[in-house]
Amino acid sequence: MSATQDEAPPVWHGEDVTIGDVLAALGEIRYKFARAEAGDEELLHPRNCVMTLIGIAPTEAHEHVAKRTTQTIGMQHPAQAIVIREEAPIRGRYLDAWITTDVRRPEVACAVQCELLTLHVHGKAADHLGALLDPLLVSGVPTYLWWLGTPPFGKRELLDALRVCDGLVVDTSHFDEPYNSFRRMAGMLKVAHHRLGLGDLQWARLRPWRETIAQFFTPSERRSFLRGISEMGIDYAGEGRGNRIAASLVTGWIASAMGWRLRRAVAGSGGVVAAIYESGGRSIEVQFRSVPQGDRVAGEVSAVRIAGASLGKSFRLSVHHNPPRARRVSRTPVDVERRRQDTGRVLLTLIEIGDGEPLRHVQQLEPEAEAELLLDLLSTGTHDEVYNRSMAAASELMEKL
Amino acid sequence: MKVEEAPNPLAEGLHDYRIAVPAVMVIFGATGDLSGRKLLPALYNLARQRSLPAGFAVVGAAMTEMSDGAFRKHAAQRIRQFSRTQPIDDRVLDALLSSLHYVTVDFGRLEDFKALGTKLDELDAANHVPGNRIFYCATPPPTYQTIAVQLQAAGLNKGEGFHRIVVEKPFGSDLQSARELTQTLQKVFTEDSVYRIDHYLGKETVQNILAFRFANSIFEPVWNSNLIDSVQITVAEEIGIENRGAYYDRAGALRDIIQNHGLQLVTLTAMEPPLAFESGAVRDEKVKVLRSIRPLIGEDIEQSTVRGQYTRGWVLGEQVGGYREEKNVAPDSQTETYAALRLFVDNWRWAGVPFYIRAGKRLPKRITEIRIQFKRPPHLTFGRDAMKEVDPNAITLRIQPEEGISLKFGAKVPSAGLRIRSVTMDFQYVTSFLVEAPEAYERLLLDCMIGDPTLFTRADEVEAAWTLVDPIEGAWRDGRPRLQTYAAGSWGPDAAAELLKADGREWHRP
Repeated sequence: MSATQDEAPPVWHGEDVTIGDVLAALGEIRYKFARAEAGDEELLHPRNCVMTLIGIAPTEAHEHVAKRTTQTIGMQHPAQAIVIREEAPIRGRYLDAWITTDVRRPEVACAVQCELLTLHVHGKAADHLGALLDPLLVSGVPTYLWWLGTPPFGKRELLDALRVCDGLVVDTSHFDEPYNSFRRMAGMLKVAHHRLGLGDLQWARLRPWRETIAQFFTPSERRSFLRGISEMGIDYAGEGRGNRIAASLVTGWIASAMGWRLRRAVAGSGGVVAAIYESGGRSIEVQFRSVPQGDRVAGEVSAVRIAGASLGKSFRLSVHHNPPRARRVSRTPVDVERRRQDTGRVLLTLIEIGDGEPLRHVQQLEPEAEAELLLDLLSTGTHDEVYNRSMAAASELMEKL
Repeated sequence: MKVEEAPNPLAEGLHDYRIAVPAVMVIFGATGDLSGRKLLPALYNLARQRSLPAGFAVVGAAMTEMSDGAFRKHAAQRIRQFSRTQPIDDRVLDALLSSLHYVTVDFGRLEDFKALGTKLDELDAANHVPGNRIFYCATPPPTYQTIAVQLQAAGLNKGEGFHRIVVEKPFGSDLQSARELTQTLQKVFTEDSVYRIDHYLGKETVQNILAFRFANSIFEPVWNSNLIDSVQITVAEEIGIENRGAYYDRAGALRDIIQNHGLQLVTLTAMEPPLAFESGAVRDEKVKVLRSIRPLIGEDIEQSTVRGQYTRGWVLGEQVGGYREEKNVAPDSQTETYAALRLFVDNWRWAGVPFYIRAGKRLPKRITEIRIQFKRPPHLTFGRDAMKEVDPNAITLRIQPEEGISLKFGAKVPSAGLRIRSVTMDFQYVTSFLVEAPEAYERLLLDCMIGDPTLFTRADEVEAAWTLVDPIEGAWRDGRPRLQTYAAGSWGPDAAAELLKADGREWHRP
C-alpha cells in the first residue's frame, strides 16, 4: 500500500486492476451498506449523491491534500470523490485502486455513505482520463474536476478529461509559470465544450473584496460614484508579473462590469505600474504596487483603494487586508492568545465621503481552508459569467502590463 | 412615478450574497426574549457572513435603564447562548457590539422617542447614513400601535432615507383588531414600509414549496383537480403550551396556528404561478387563494370543523397532564388545543378538492407536512388482487423536522408473479445540498434591510385570513361544534377522523 494511504483504512484495495474490478467492488460495498441500513425493512433506502468530485493530483503531496479535502467535503455532503494520482509508481499494467468509505448519520435522515476512490495511474491511461472516469461517474449529478497544481493547458490530456466534466476547478495562485499559465487558461475556454464551467479558488478568495467594494456602491445615493471613479490602487504581495493575477482579476472584474476600455499601460517609479482605462471620455488610472511579501502568500492582494468624485462630492474607499493593528492593553493572557490566532483574517474598510469623518468598518474573513473554498465555489456551480469576463479582462491587462 | 433604479453592476454574480444598504435598526424590547433568542443572534450571523454593511448600527430601546456598555454585555451573552453557529468568533462579535447602542424608552413617553431621534441623528451623521431606519417591534402585540403613534409624534417616520416598521404575528386577535392595527400602522407608514413577520415564511423549506412547484415542469400539469384527490396539511407539536398559558388560553389552536401558518401553507400549495418571485406578484396570488376559499358559515362550521382539547396521556414515553392542568389555564377552559378544518378553494384549479388542515398540541410528534393525495388510476390494469397493497400516488412536502419531499408510487415486487406495492422516492434537504440553511430570522432581517417584502404578510392577506377564521371562532365560542377531548399523545379527537371518514378518506399518519 502507498505511504499516502494513512487517513482511513480502505474497505477495498486492488493492485493492477481494471475499472471493471473497481466498479464491481463499489457495487458490492453499496449494496452491503444499503442492506445493513435497511435492517428488517424490505425496502432499501435510496442512495443520495450531490456530485462527483474528481481531484487530479500530480504529486504525492497533492494527493494527500486532495484526499483530505474531498473527504472533508464528503462527510458534510454525500458526494462521490475520486482522486487520481498521475504518473504514480505502480508496478502492474493497469491501475492500483483503493476505496475508502465514511458514514454520516444525520439526526433526522437516513445514513449516508461517502465514498473515496483513489486511483494510481500511469502511462497511456493517464493520457485518457475521460475514458477512465466515465464509467465511474454518478449519473444525473454534476461532475467537477479539481486539478491541483497546473493543468496541462492546450494538451489533449486535459481536453479529454474535461469531456466528461461539467466544471474545471483550479487555483491560479498555485500555478507554475503563473503569467503564462493564466493566459493559456483564459484561451482554453474558447476550445472547451460549451457546457464547461471554470472555477478558480483564487477568485473565491477574492469574494470578500468583491462584496465589500460592491457594498460601498449599493446605496442609491452612492450609485453615481461608480461613474465618477478616477483612480484605483491595488497592492499585492511579491514582485513580478506572475504575482499580479489576483490584482488583475480585481481590476478586470470592475473594468468589465463598468465597461472600461483598456488604453495603455505605463511604468511608474518604485515598482509601480499603471494601466489607463477609458470610459465615457474619462480616464481612469489603476496603479499596481508591489509590497513586501512578509507573511503573505505571493500574489495576495493586500489593499484596494478607489477614489473619485461625482455630483460635486469626492469619495475614497480603502479596503485593507490584515492591516497593522494598534497595540492593545489590559487584555488577559487568554484574550491575547486567542486573538493572536486570527490576526490574518481582518478586512478593514475606510470610507471617506466629502469632508465627513472617515467611517471605519472591520470584517472577519473565514479561514481559507481548501475544503471551505471549494464548497463555496461548488455550491453555486462553476458557470460564472462574471469570472469569465473578469478573467478575459485580467488576461488582456496582464499582457499590456 | 417611481423611477426604477439600475442594478449595481458590481453586485452581479455575487449569487446568494444580497447587499443591504447602511441603516440604523431600532429594536424596541431589545432586552426581551425575542431579541435575545432570535434577533441579536441573527444579526451576529449576518455580520459573520459579512452581510451587514459599513455604517449599519443597532439601537436597543426598552424600558430598562441601561448604558451602551451594559446593553453590549447583555447582547454578547445572548449571542453566545443562542447563536446557531458556534463557537462564537470574538472579532465578529466585537465588531457587531461596537455598532450597538442603547436608549431607554418608555413607550408612553414622547420625550423618550425624541431622545431616540437625537441618538439616531447622531448615528446617521457618524455613519454616512441618510436617515435609513428600521423600527423592529420585538414587544407584545398590544404595544405596536402605541409605538407607531409615538414614532409619528416624534417625527421619526419621515425625513430622508427609508423608514420601515417590523411587527411580529399575531396581527390582531380578530378581523376588527387586525383592521385597527393596519389603520394605525398605515397612518404612520406606507403599506410597503410595514413588514409583518410570520417567521414561518422565512424557513427555507416553506420557500421551497414555491421552488418545487414553479421551477419544475413536471408537477404543475398534475397540480389540479383533474388528478388530485385531496390535500392534507398537518402542523403537529408534541409539546404542550409550556409557559404560554395566559396567552394560549385566549388564543387557541385556530388563532395561534391555523389563521397564520396553516393558511400560509394552503396559499403556497394552491396559488397560481406568480409572474415573478417578487413581492407584489407572490402576495397577489396568495391573497387570491384566500379570497377563493369558500367561507364556512352557519351549519358548515359544525360539519367541516373539529375542535379538541388534550387530556392526560403519554407523549414521547412520558406521562403528561391535561390542558386544564396547565399553569395559567382556567380549570373549565373551553379553548381548543387541536383544530381541524375542511376547506374548499373555489376556483377552476381546485374545484371539488378538499383541503384538510389540522393543527394541535400534545400530538405524538412534532411534524409539519403537506400531503398531496392523487386519485386512483382510472382502470386497474393489473387487477384488484395485484393492487391491493398499493396506495394512491402521493407527494409529501415535509416542512419540519425532516425537511424534504417524497413521492409515493407503485412498483412491482420482485417475484415470479405480478404483485404491486407502494414505494417512496425521497429527497432530503439535509443530505442534498452543499450549504447550511440560514435561520429564518437571518433571512427576514436581511430582506427587511434590503427592502424585499416578498416573505412578509401584506395587510390584505391578514384581513382575508381573519375574514375566514372569524366566523369559525365565533361559532366555537358559542359551543358549535362541541369541544372534543383527546388523550395527549394521540392524533386528535375521534371526530377529526370522522370528518374525513365521512368523505371516504382518512388522515395520513405522518
